[in-house]
Amino acid sequence: MGGAAATGAIVGATGGAAVAANIATAAAQTAAQLAAQTAVRQRSEPFFGSHQNGIELDLQSHTNFIALDLHAETNIRAFERWMNLLTDDISRLTAGVAALADPHPELALGPARLTVTVGFGPNFFTKLGLEKQRPESFQDLPAFKIDRLKEEFSGGDVLLHVSADDPLALSHALRSLIRDSVEFASVRWSQQGFSNAQGVVPTGVRQRNLMGQVDGTDNPEFASDDFNNLVWINDGPEWIQGGTTVVLRRIAMQLNTWDLLGRDAKEQVIGRNLENGAPLGGNAETDPIDFEARDARGLKVIPDFAHIRRASAANIGERIFRRPFNYEGTPAADGTPDVGLLWTSYQRSIEKQFLPIQRRLDQFDLLNKWTVPIGSAVFAIGGGLREGETFATRLLG
Amino acid sequence: MGLKKVLTTAISAAFILGSLTACAAPAESVDGHDEIHLADGWVRVSEYSAEAGGMTGAFAEISNHTANDVTLVGGSSASAMMVEVHEVVMVGGEMKMQAKDGGILIKAGETITLEPGGLHVMLMGLKAPLLGGETVELTLDFDGAEDITVQWPAKASLAGDESYEPKG
Repeated sequence: MGGAAATGAIVGATGGAAVAANIATAAAQTAAQLAAQTAVRQRSEPFFGSHQNGIELDLQSHTNFIALDLHAETNIRAFERWMNLLTDDISRLTAGVAALADPHPELALGPARLTVTVGFGPNFFTKLGLEKQRPESFQDLPAFKIDRLKEEFSGGDVLLHVSADDPLALSHALRSLIRDSVEFASVRWSQQGFSNAQGVVPTGVRQRNLMGQVDGTDNPEFASDDFNNLVWINDGPEWIQGGTTVVLRRIAMQLNTWDLLGRDAKEQVIGRNLENGAPLGGNAETDPIDFEARDARGLKVIPDFAHIRRASAANIGERIFRRPFNYEGTPAADGTPDVGLLWTSYQRSIEKQFLPIQRRLDQFDLLNKWTVPIGSAVFAIGGGLREGETFATRLLG
Repeated sequence: MGLKKVLTTAISAAFILGSLTACAAPAESVDGHDEIHLADGWVRVSEYSAEAGGMTGAFAEISNHTANDVTLVGGSSASAMMVEVHEVVMVGGEMKMQAKDGGILIKAGETITLEPGGLHVMLMGLKAPLLGGETVELTLDFDGAEDITVQWPAKASLAGDESYEPKG
C-alpha cells in the first residue's frame, strides 16, 4: 500500500528513537513540515457511498473526460469482467494505492482528491441489450442550430470522468484505467480541463472561466435538499437510483472577438458584472436577480437576451447543477486561442431540466455570438457502490 | 442458475475486497491462514494465455508472520494442468524463466514479492483462454505451513524480461 506505507514510514522514523529532546523536536518539526508540504496529495475522496463521487464536491484542479466505445465483441459477460477490473482499480487509486500489476507504482502519487465517475451513453444500453435498464427518456440530445459539433468531441458508450488536484496523479490513474479497458473498448475521445490550483482561491469562491466570468453562480448548494431533488435520481431502474445524468458540452470561446467588446458590453451580454459576478443592479454574486429592474432611461438593466435571463428557469424544477472546467488547446498560427469550457450539467432528467433551458438559449442568447458548442455527449451515471459491488452489479442484477 | 450467480458474485466480491486487504494479521493469530499473508495477488493476461494449453504467471506479496521459515513449493488450480514455482535468471546474456529448485524460501518475519521479471507462480496448460477481469482460484502449497487458497483477478500486463520458452 504505497501511499499509506510512505506516510507511516515518515512518522515512524521519529517514533521509536530514544534521542535528546531537542533532536526529537527538530525531527518532529520536519515531519510536520513535510505533512504540510504534501497536504494536497494527502486529501482523499471516498469511493464507496450512496452516490458516485466526482460530482457533489468542489472542483479538483485537473480533469479528463474519457469516452470509450465498446468493441463489437464485448458482450454482457465481458462488460462484467471489465467492471471488475475498473472497480478494483478505482477503489485503490482513490485511496492513494497503486492498481494491481502497475509497473510503476511509485507514480501512483495520489490520492490528491482523485475521483473517477463512470457513466453509460445512450447506445450502451442498445449494444448490450439492456434497454430495460435505460433511464426514462435518456437519449442523445436533439440538434440545436447553434451547434457546430465535431465527432471527435461527441458521443460515446462509456464515460470515465477522472479528476484530481495533481496532474501526475491523474495521468497515472488514467493510464491504469485505460490499460485495463483496451481489451473491452476503444478510446473515442479525451477532453482535458482545468480549474485553479489548490491554494489559489479561498474555499467556496467560484472559479472564473477564460472569458473572465465568475462561472457557476446560482447552483444548488452541496448537501442541500435542493441539490438532492435536482440532481440525485430516486426512481426508475434500481441501478440508477442515487445516480444522475450528465450533459457534457465542449463550448469554444471566441476570445478575439469577445475582447473587442468594452467591459460594459461584456457585462450586458451575460447580465452579471465581471468584478464579482453580481447580477447587474445587484452588489453580491448571490443577490437575487431583478429581471424587472430598469435604469434611468427606462431600459431593462438586464437586457432581454442576456445569458442569465435566457438561462433562467421557467419554474423551480427546471434547474440544473453546473460544474464547468476550462479547456485550452493549441493557439493558431495567428495567435487565435483554442479555449473554452468543458461545460457539464447534472440533473435527474435531461428532458425536464436541461432541454427547456437549452432550447431558450438556442433560440436567442447574446452569448451565442462568442461561444460555439463543438462537442456534445450525454451519459447516465449509476448510483454509488457498496463494498463488494462493481459498476456492473446492479445494472446486471 | 441462482447458485452459479451467487458464487460468481461472491467470488468477484472476494477478489475486490481481498485485493485491498492490507497485510495486518497479528503474528500471534491462531488461524494458520492469517500467519502467512498474501496481498495484491493477480494473474497475468497475455498473448501466452490467450488459448487453451497456454501458460501465465501469478504474482503477489507473501509475508511470513510465523516463527518458522516456510517454503512455497508449488500449487494447483482448476484453471491449469500444472502449477510450478518459477524464477527468472540470466542465462547466456538473456533473462530466462525456469522452475525454482526447492521452491521459494520465505524466512520467518520476511516478505517476498512475486513480480514480473522475478519470482512467480507459473500456471501451465491453461484449461481455457484467460480473460481479463475473470477470477482465478489458486491453491498455494507451502512446506512448513498449511495450503492457502486464493481468488485472484486476471489482468493484462505488458511482458516482463523473461522469455516464455514453450515446454518441449
